Amino acid sequence: MKLLSLTLRQFRNHVSSGFAFGAASNVLLGKNGQGKTNVLEAVSYLCLTKSFYAGADATAVHCGTSMFEVEGDFVSDVNVRHRVRIVYDEQMRQKHFFINASEITKLSEVIGLFPIVVLSPENNSITFGSPSERRKFADLVMAQSSKAYVEDMMEYKRVLRQRNKILSDARGNDCSAVLAPWTEMLIRHGSAIIHRRNTFLNEFVTYVEKAYDAVAHNEERPSLRYVPQIDVSGAMDRDAIAAALHLLADRKQADERRTGSTLFGPQRDDIAFSIDGLPLREYASQGQHKTYLIALKIAEFWYLKERCAELPIILFDDVFSELDETRSHQLLEMLAPMGQTFITTTSERIFQGVRQWDDEHRKFYIRSGTVVLQEDAA
Amino acid sequence: MIYTSQSLEQLVEEFSQLPGIGRKTALRLALYVLKMPREEVVRFAESLVRVKDNVRYCSVCWNITENDPCIICSSPKRNAGVICVVEEPTDVMAIEKTNEFRGRYHVMGGALSPLDGIGPEDLKVKELLVRIEPDTEEIILALNPTVEGETTTLYLSRLLKPMGIKITRIARGVPIGSNLEFSDEATLTRALEGRIAV
Repeated sequence: MKLLSLTLRQFRNHVSSGFAFGAASNVLLGKNGQGKTNVLEAVSYLCLTKSFYAGADATAVHCGTSMFEVEGDFVSDVNVRHRVRIVYDEQMRQKHFFINASEITKLSEVIGLFPIVVLSPENNSITFGSPSERRKFADLVMAQSSKAYVEDMMEYKRVLRQRNKILSDARGNDCSAVLAPWTEMLIRHGSAIIHRRNTFLNEFVTYVEKAYDAVAHNEERPSLRYVPQIDVSGAMDRDAIAAALHLLADRKQADERRTGSTLFGPQRDDIAFSIDGLPLREYASQGQHKTYLIALKIAEFWYLKERCAELPIILFDDVFSELDETRSHQLLEMLAPMGQTFITTTSERIFQGVRQWDDEHRKFYIRSGTVVLQEDAA
Repeated sequence: MIYTSQSLEQLVEEFSQLPGIGRKTALRLALYVLKMPREEVVRFAESLVRVKDNVRYCSVCWNITENDPCIICSSPKRNAGVICVVEEPTDVMAIEKTNEFRGRYHVMGGALSPLDGIGPEDLKVKELLVRIEPDTEEIILALNPTVEGETTTLYLSRLLKPMGIKITRIARGVPIGSNLEFSDEATLTRALEGRIAV
């Protein structure tokens, strides 16, 4: 999949900006706070129906206006064109998503149609932050490669909300009779998710090993391990996972009554990252964290490439500022044969001598929300 | 919008309260009423009042009816030993259209949903239990394939199982007359899960 053109209206810093992109790489240059990242966010809105930054859609509306609009022309790998448009109305708090002429009412249907891989400074929390950040990472890879996972996840979240409502309404009183069918449903849907995550991570680890090797160029061996609340070692089937969850549910009963919320299930999973057997969070240097994160993203690209109908688009936000020149060049070299890439950076220096600007490779200068100069040789 | 007539404004207001009717459609309907012969308008208005005055819930199956018990519950041609449990009266209408089911119904009045404040006591559960007699052959659970419907199915099956009656649930999967390629992933996944030997 490639994005040929993009229009932003009243989107963050941009009142009205238009881009014609190169099929290979696109570099967005400019000082801090000018609106470079906004462009990547806009691409994310078209592919995932939301930004990769946490926060409400309302914050993406340009100051003093009441709606934003992002429109893009995609071309698929078999040369079919799609015009994608998203409009957010702040008053109605509604997003409208269109592919060609038809509105997509179920936004979750869009996930996976235009696969993307995003690496932004916010992603540092994948290796540094809480388990929820790691789950979010794994969920997005899985969601983009499997529609069934998206459905499973939505149903699970619905059951979880229903069950939490009973527990919080009970205020410590016995609600076991009302709770029982919801516990059963939580286990049924939860075991499906744990099973899928287990299968996914067992496959994904080989992609990470390969990617880490390509990024780090050293003898270090990365690893990742799924850490649900129950023991899933040895390929467990769904029934075995459900049985283990049943036991856990019984054990957590008293605590759940006290805290008024669900204390078991895949919403409490974690993923443990390590290098040479040592946990990343405790033992790794800043550099190793960065390398691991980039390897995760490269692995995500390779994984999605094999499973999606389309080659993913890569968005790298401010990745190169933390890398030295050698590493930057190595990474640029790696990216070159991948898919269409969008890179934001404050300094053009890293591209000198390694990239020729032409029809395929374009650069854009952005100053206070406007494209001041679009350079392409064509 | 301000109309030149207060009565028209009021009617538009009333129409737009109906589900699926916005102000534009409400105005169109109101203007149509204005063109209708007076006697037709009277008949229409009377039907609205009559439906409110005459229609009640069947004290056996909780379907909507004018006579209590309803015609399905009082019909000798219907098998009283088979009870099909549904969420809403509209589900009864849907199954009746098939002309295949010869048993009776039980309308739960919704599905379990704590977020909407609906627990077992808000559904016609006790009313279902009292209907079960020694000659009850089968209970068919035909609730919606939503998270709430599924949970209600689970709840009812747990409740009814100890009573030793045959409990079934309707099959779910690919709609007849449509191609596999047009089914969404979730439906196909469910259909695969519920596959049967041939």
